[in-house]
Amino acid sequence: MSTIAIASDRFPAMGTRVELHLFGRGASAALRPLREVIERIEVALTMHRESPTTRLNAQLAARREALIEEPLLREAIAVAMRMHALTDGLFDVASTLPDGGGPVRGGLAHARLDADGMIHVERQLSLDFGGLGKGLALDHCAGVLAAHGIGAAIVSLGESSILAWGTHPHGECWPLSVPHPFRPDQPLQELQLRDAAISISSTIANGASSPSRAPIVRPAGGAAVTMAATAIVVHRSGARAEALSTAALIATPQERESLAAQAALSVFECDAGGQACRLDPQVKAE
Amino acid sequence: MTDSDFETSRRHFLHSIALAAGAAAAPWALGAAHAADTAGARVRIGIIGVGDRGSALLQNLNQSRNCVVTAVCDDYPPNLARARALAGPRAAAHADYRRLLQAGGLDAAVVATPLDLHAPVVLDALDAGLHVFCEKAMARTVEDCTAMVERSRQHGRVLQIGHQRMFSPAYLRARARILAGDIGVVTQIRAQWHRNSNWRRSVPPGSGLERKINWRLYKQHSGGLMTELACHQLQVANWFFDAVPTRVIGSGSLCYWKDGRDIDDQVALIYDYSGGRKLIYDSLINNRRYGCEEQVQGDKGTIEAETAQMFTETTPTVPGLQRMLRDIAEGLYRSVPIGGASWSPEIPVTTPGESLGRGPYEETLLQLEAFGEAVKTGRPLPDLLRQAYHASIASLLGERAMDTGLPVEWPDHLRMPKEAA
Repeated sequence: MSTIAIASDRFPAMGTRVELHLFGRGASAALRPLREVIERIEVALTMHRESPTTRLNAQLAARREALIEEPLLREAIAVAMRMHALTDGLFDVASTLPDGGGPVRGGLAHARLDADGMIHVERQLSLDFGGLGKGLALDHCAGVLAAHGIGAAIVSLGESSILAWGTHPHGECWPLSVPHPFRPDQPLQELQLRDAAISISSTIANGASSPSRAPIVRPAGGAAVTMAATAIVVHRSGARAEALSTAALIATPQERESLAAQAALSVFECDAGGQACRLDPQVKAE
Repeated sequence: MTDSDFETSRRHFLHSIALAAGAAAAPWALGAAHAADTAGARVRIGIIGVGDRGSALLQNLNQSRNCVVTAVCDDYPPNLARARALAGPRAAAHADYRRLLQAGGLDAAVVATPLDLHAPVVLDALDAGLHVFCEKAMARTVEDCTAMVERSRQHGRVLQIGHQRMFSPAYLRARARILAGDIGVVTQIRAQWHRNSNWRRSVPPGSGLERKINWRLYKQHSGGLMTELACHQLQVANWFFDAVPTRVIGSGSLCYWKDGRDIDDQVALIYDYSGGRKLIYDSLINNRRYGCEEQVQGDKGTIEAETAQMFTETTPTVPGLQRMLRDIAEGLYRSVPIGGASWSPEIPVTTPGESLGRGPYEETLLQLEAFGEAVKTGRPLPDLLRQAYHASIASLLGERAMDTGLPVEWPDHLRMPKEAA
């Protein structure tokens, strides 16, 4: 039996369930700061109740610029812009609101964030950080864990955004096995991780196709992804992993090659019979 | 998608959510799904009262597959002009609803007038031999609500009231989960409807139309927050408790919008149900932070019906991480099975492997199509009118409790028995 200290917490946040499991010295002391940083990001970015993000969207609907006072929101926008550029526009948190029509993705190209925290937009935009917030939260969690000197931890946000911090207490890395979405007893991909974030984007299972979920769409044209697929991305940064996993689901084969240069990326097309066809090029090491 | 495909998929949609909800949860939904397909003849509708809500109903009727609006009526010229534009040139237009009824050529009337006019218009329409769909609340007084029910039975005509949550997949699914015991013993429902608006509609200066256009602000015409907002949520509470209240206490006030209106702009009530259960309700119109919600609270969990989310008292643990913790405690080094689409507390509104879809299946359209099917068969969908009647009575008794400052018991003669299966 192991005598290693274990500290855990479980709570709902960011529209999902969060589990924190920390190991070794200092584990208990780091739990509260981890929970607080996750909850602060939720408060700043949520669309489910009034927040700095919903207020910003209201301001941008009325006029073409706004001062962003909330530091986390400012950070989220800056990261979103970097990810938008990194993915050649495939990842986009902004919807434009054309006259007479519903929202269309592909809007962040019309926005500019200056050094004073003013956002300027060329047309009406609405920002939604549902595809980035958990990744940002993982990055902040990594900061908390480093600051507390934690040697090993797993942070799970809805099991789709996971931080594998340090190594497994009894091994040289964190061995994670992502199950096949239709056959949970079968692994889809085995990963050996250390100080890494994983983002899994999927159009299947866990009610991903529920009408209450926002569909994953290509920014250009707004076409929804209909393929039954799962994308798995590993990177030191949770935000990058999350942006790339979303982008990978909507990318063409040529675009996936470009994305694979940015992070370790796998895309699988899965069927209910348990088959999984890997679509991406060979996974490249970071 | 062909008309046949749409009809099939719409019927399949209703059938799948009805099955999911179960006959006990929503007997009307199965009826709507199983209604005989008498394709060919659309139900001819005359719509009386084409203000904001009436226009919305008209637009939904235009999209329906089994109804057609052949006459419109409103005694306010701008509304009538809008109705004519929406209904098209083939629809007859009237400024007096009695002329619409006399003109004939209709199968049913849709009534969306100010609340105090519901009863006279509906009673006249029933006397004219029409089936009637009437917006909620049923009527301005308890006596009028009862008269409408009795008149529909006397004439053997369908009377359906506009409570669209009874056709919402989220609410149907929530009801099914409650019946299945997923949130345990439900002891309390909390509901609120908070808005931030003066509720006024613009009135041409000097027209003398203040009370006509802003009827919702005056007790002569409306029960205000109770009949215009609370009535929806009282229906949900009665449905989810499967009971009517035994008693209500309440307090209302005109607190903020002191602009000549005489309805309350803030209400707070407690409805008692059998077994000690309670509905805690409030509504106000000068703060929107907490919006519109019903929180169904049981000893095992909570359902928030508006957002279709279910929260268990203890967030379920991740099985793969539980195994990881056991392995680490036992000194084992083994892979951690974890990862997939983000876990959600939402009540799934998909049947296994199938999406119920959105868009064409919005609940207002569904309830109007269900009304159309009921008109074709001449048989009302089971239990709908009872639900609506009790919701309206609950709103009016709540108003009475606030006006008197006294507890109001629910009279036995205002309980409508369930229909025999």
